[in-house]
Amino acid sequence: MKKITDERLVLRNLQNTRIVYIVQTFGILCILGYNLFTSGIDGMRDNPIWLVFMVSAIVSAYLSMSISVEHEKKIRNPKKSFIISTVITLVISIIIAYFVSITPESGLSVGILTGVIILICFLIPNIYIYRLRMKQLIDLDDLEE
Amino acid sequence: MRNSVKVARVKKDLTQQQLADAVGITRQTVSLIEKGKYNPSLKLCLQICYAVGGTLDEIFWVEEEDF
Repeated sequence: MKKITDERLVLRNLQNTRIVYIVQTFGILCILGYNLFTSGIDGMRDNPIWLVFMVSAIVSAYLSMSISVEHEKKIRNPKKSFIISTVITLVISIIIAYFVSITPESGLSVGILTGVIILICFLIPNIYIYRLRMKQLIDLDDLEE
Repeated sequence: MRNSVKVARVKKDLTQQQLADAVGITRQTVSLIEKGKYNPSLKLCLQICYAVGGTLDEIFWVEEEDF
């Protein structure tokens, strides 16, 4: 098959891919909805499509972050924003870890584990946004030169 | 957007297909560009200019009042 070099057709191909993605996501949601209806939330999570849906949602969220950073009108200090968000994440995870550990069903170890998981889950996007903002700052410096 | 691709192409004695082959696009895209129904990228504009032997100014420039 010949490679398409026409930029108009490449663009149309991308638009078609977007339509396919919308149809696919709608199909996945229908299947998951049916599973939720017939076998409850655990049955829905057992379906491998749930994993596909979650992975694509995470990838989509990370890709959206790069757009959001470039869309920010006010240029923020990346280090300051990173420190603030990390401190907030740390406080939230410590609070959650404390409340989980004092509940009768779960002990200290479960509480610490929950806190660490929440910390990691928020820290990774924080680092990613910090790197994106640093990259944007370098790019803007290059433009001004 | 309006442009002078058709005039420049005819001056150079090229058919739409020949121009399309020269810049690696389809004849339909050439037709749409000439009709002003598709806005090519700057890269494609330059390729068209090289193919028809014109400048960006001559072929793609649009006055502010016609913009």
